[in-house]
Amino acid sequence: MRTNNKMRLEIPSKSENERFARTVCAAFILELDPTLEEMSEIKTAISEAVTNAIIHGYDGNDGTVLINGEIEDRTVTYIIEDSGCGIRDISKARQPLYTEKPDSERSGMGFSIMEAFMDTLTVESEENKGTKIIMTKRLSDNA
Amino acid sequence: MRASGEIDHHSAEKIKQVVEKEIKRTSAVNVAFDFGCVTFMDSSGIGMLIGRYKTVTALGGTMIIFDANEQIKRLMNMSGLTRLVTVSETLQKGITQMNKIRSAQI
Repeated sequence: MRTNNKMRLEIPSKSENERFARTVCAAFILELDPTLEEMSEIKTAISEAVTNAIIHGYDGNDGTVLINGEIEDRTVTYIIEDSGCGIRDISKARQPLYTEKPDSERSGMGFSIMEAFMDTLTVESEENKGTKIIMTKRLSDNA
Repeated sequence: MRASGEIDHHSAEKIKQVVEKEIKRTSAVNVAFDFGCVTFMDSSGIGMLIGRYKTVTALGGTMIIFDANEQIKRLMNMSGLTRLVTVSETLQKGITQMNKIRSAQI
């Protein structure tokens, strides 16, 4: 069965919204009857992307994080956007354990986790304009 | 120390402050975290745990994390945290494991 659905969530860049965002994004796929592992992977990947927007994109300043979700068949796509400072060197930022904030107890694992837990990950960014993270995941067939 | 709920960027800073305060208050050097009631953790939690690992090792102590769920154990494996701290099913198993490592080092 082909299921199409869309969601859009716009939140202020406040850390207390990280939990809200990942919970909403995980709830979005409930109609597809995902496994607990798939739910957990999506929650974690979304949490990393939203945290990245809040910490790195806006560096604690006020801003808006926009999340769009789309389901097509059993594939879910999430697009997480900010209008923050952008990433100067995307390939460097995607290296495991790399962090621009070594004094802030950041593990530098955000992009590695997104890559490991989702099927595809695309990062688009422009300095002083913002960052867009696009992630997709095909859910297993449970039926 | 017993953690509960979801550990992310928002809650990690608060947990860090509580743990650091308790370490100072009790003069403890070995710290065990009960993760039985932690339902979710992301890389912010890993960063916070690595920070506490640095604190306890600077004091000559060590760290045990026990009863973590599969999602959290997977993250701890990915980050290499499991090579630094003792991760176990129960506190008792963690202490036994830690003692074995210490004996091997002597």
